[in-house]
Amino acid sequence: MSSRWADSEADAAEAKRRKKEKEEKKRLKLQKQQAEQEAAVRAAQQAESRPSKRRRLSNDDEEEEGKNGPSSKENESQRKLLRFEAGSWAPCRHTSNFETLNHIEEGSYGWVSRAKDITTGQVVALKKIKMDTHHQDGFPITAMREIAILQRARHTNIVSLHEILTGSASDEVVLVMEFLEHDLKTLQEDMPEPFLASETKTLLRQLTSALSFLHSNFILHRDLKTSNILLSNRGHLKIADFGMARYIPPPHAPPPTQLVVTLWYRAPELLLGTETYSTEIDMWSLGCIFGELLLKSPLLQGKNEVDELALIFALCGVPTDKTWPGFWRLPNSKSLKIPRDPSSSSLKTSSQIRSKFPSLTTEGVSLLSSLLSLNPDRRPSADEVLRHPYFSEAPKPKPMELFPTFPSKAGQERRRRAVSPNAPKRGEAPGMGDVDFSGLFGEGEGVKGSGFQLRVV
Amino acid sequence: MQQPSPLANPLATVAQLRETGSQIDNIPRDLEDSVRFAGAQLTQAAGILLRLPQEVIAQAIIVFARFWLGPEGGSLAEFGARQVSAASIYLTTKLSAYPKSPRSIVNVYAYLDSIPFPSFETDVLRTENKAEEYYVSEGTYQTRKLDLFETEQRILKVLGFQLQVSLPYALCITYLQALDVFSHPRASELAKRATAHLNTALLSPQLMYLTHQPPSLATAAIYLAAKETGIKLPDVEWWEVFDTDREELGFLVVALLSVESFAKEEQKVWQGKKVPMTVEAVEAELKRRHASQD
Repeated sequence: MSSRWADSEADAAEAKRRKKEKEEKKRLKLQKQQAEQEAAVRAAQQAESRPSKRRRLSNDDEEEEGKNGPSSKENESQRKLLRFEAGSWAPCRHTSNFETLNHIEEGSYGWVSRAKDITTGQVVALKKIKMDTHHQDGFPITAMREIAILQRARHTNIVSLHEILTGSASDEVVLVMEFLEHDLKTLQEDMPEPFLASETKTLLRQLTSALSFLHSNFILHRDLKTSNILLSNRGHLKIADFGMARYIPPPHAPPPTQLVVTLWYRAPELLLGTETYSTEIDMWSLGCIFGELLLKSPLLQGKNEVDELALIFALCGVPTDKTWPGFWRLPNSKSLKIPRDPSSSSLKTSSQIRSKFPSLTTEGVSLLSSLLSLNPDRRPSADEVLRHPYFSEAPKPKPMELFPTFPSKAGQERRRRAVSPNAPKRGEAPGMGDVDFSGLFGEGEGVKGSGFQLRVV
Repeated sequence: MQQPSPLANPLATVAQLRETGSQIDNIPRDLEDSVRFAGAQLTQAAGILLRLPQEVIAQAIIVFARFWLGPEGGSLAEFGARQVSAASIYLTTKLSAYPKSPRSIVNVYAYLDSIPFPSFETDVLRTENKAEEYYVSEGTYQTRKLDLFETEQRILKVLGFQLQVSLPYALCITYLQALDVFSHPRASELAKRATAHLNTALLSPQLMYLTHQPPSLATAAIYLAAKETGIKLPDVEWWEVFDTDREELGFLVVALLSVESFAKEEQKVWQGKKVPMTVEAVEAELKRRHASQD
């Protein structure tokens, strides 16, 4: 192959180099042949051979090679270098390659439908991206992030992105993803009884292993909730909807937005306006989902930010200097009239998780309580959760193959519109600094479940 | 599909290297090379003015380069290098931790348009400070913004949304550490030289980042930098430790060395003229070439 770009001088150098290389190869080949002949002789001579497995880097000391015998020489010619493959790129295919079967759901930034690849017959989920009609920022950043992250995040418990299609209209963009029959939210609503303890374990373990993968690849999901978790008819769980996901930003980059995670799954530090958050917010959501799987209904259904926080404190107790030292440094904590020493008041500082989940084992309570630690530093990492004794004690996680099957709403009929709130949108909610939490503990009374007013100053 | 290696880049296929959209439109190859080279430099200059980290600029240049390849790639008869460069920067920064507004990008490209190419002096770009003089009018801004968004979508479509870029910079430092060169008194000179070669490779008409993986690029940069600085590296085939064979190393070193003569040649060819960075300018250049032939 002659280089079409290089100038003649470089070409000449290249040709020279190649020639030299050829000679070198010839020499090596000859050497190898000799060695092989020697080897045959030697193999006949001595029965016990001592193959040297040493990986060699140098050609220079050839006398030594003779000593080591043929095996080292063979190693040299077979020296395997790692090859890195990441494919290529090709223009988007047209949407007409797919035939829509039925619509599934309208999400926060796109419409999802079930469709069939016309050539292969494969059933997939199509997610059509809503384009910003005002064209404020060009192609929607949420969709770009979702695509970029899904391209990188290939994991057995993460929904896989096959390709991206474009339509006849210039702004029609469609994601082709694998189709799974259920999402956990709709499925639970239709189930008469919650999942069994062994099933809950299998689901939670799959979910956690996906999270462990994401976090070790510096990806935050930022919108974990049961409606974003898909389940196949074979009990295979996959996380979907990476519209809020992003890479953990480098240390000196501007802080990411606090307006993330659907309210019911939002960690207390986010509600309190933290500017530096990380993987712990996903672990809080995981705790909420664990609770939801046990109860068959969402754990902390707050009506607004204040109410959500009140519900959290009612379940987990109010924070103290001891349990959450950083609490008073969070922007919104000052407006909470929590006494510095809650033991002197009637506020509960202890967790109510034990009494809320009477049938859960001690290990289960320990795992759930740690995930729902108010202090983000006390929450376990996904890897730590996977090693938790809860997964090894009886009942053992149920094998996926033994999972019951359910009629699929997404596969066969129109689904009800989801009633759970959506993830916050940019510029939709008032800035967290404007939310007045002062009513929350104004009277110094015990925490009530709900009924607080959101007052915007 | 498997998890792609975080060290790997999607590479151009043979078919993509053989024929480009511009060639189908009868744009001479040398003109395409010149425009692509100038476009990469323009992107680098815009990135410096936008105060972007080099990793982000490098990604933008690679996205810019991918756009033109293959028969289904962008053609200079349809897209100007300036608009593609601007949209590549816009796209890349949007996904990075350093997003830039369309307005900043439009203004920066308006300023760069006023500088005769090819005289982007890095030091000048870092110190010049009369930005306000180049702010475009509201009307111009609206038009260019729309153009930016449309080009953005076309790039996404042509690339099939393949914006993944792995860079060799951090690898290069890791390799130098593995080679234990940082105990050498002139180690920083070597590291700087190697980094400079990696930046040079971004401009290479041989599209090194589109044909070779980051580990090999880092290895070649180190090899060449060590030769130039006279710092001795282990007397063995150390490049194989970094998964680069002798043949690839040789090719990359030659390619790195050839960029300088290519740049000098370009300077000579385009002396006193601007490399055509818009569709209209390319048309005008083609007319001029026809006229001079007659």
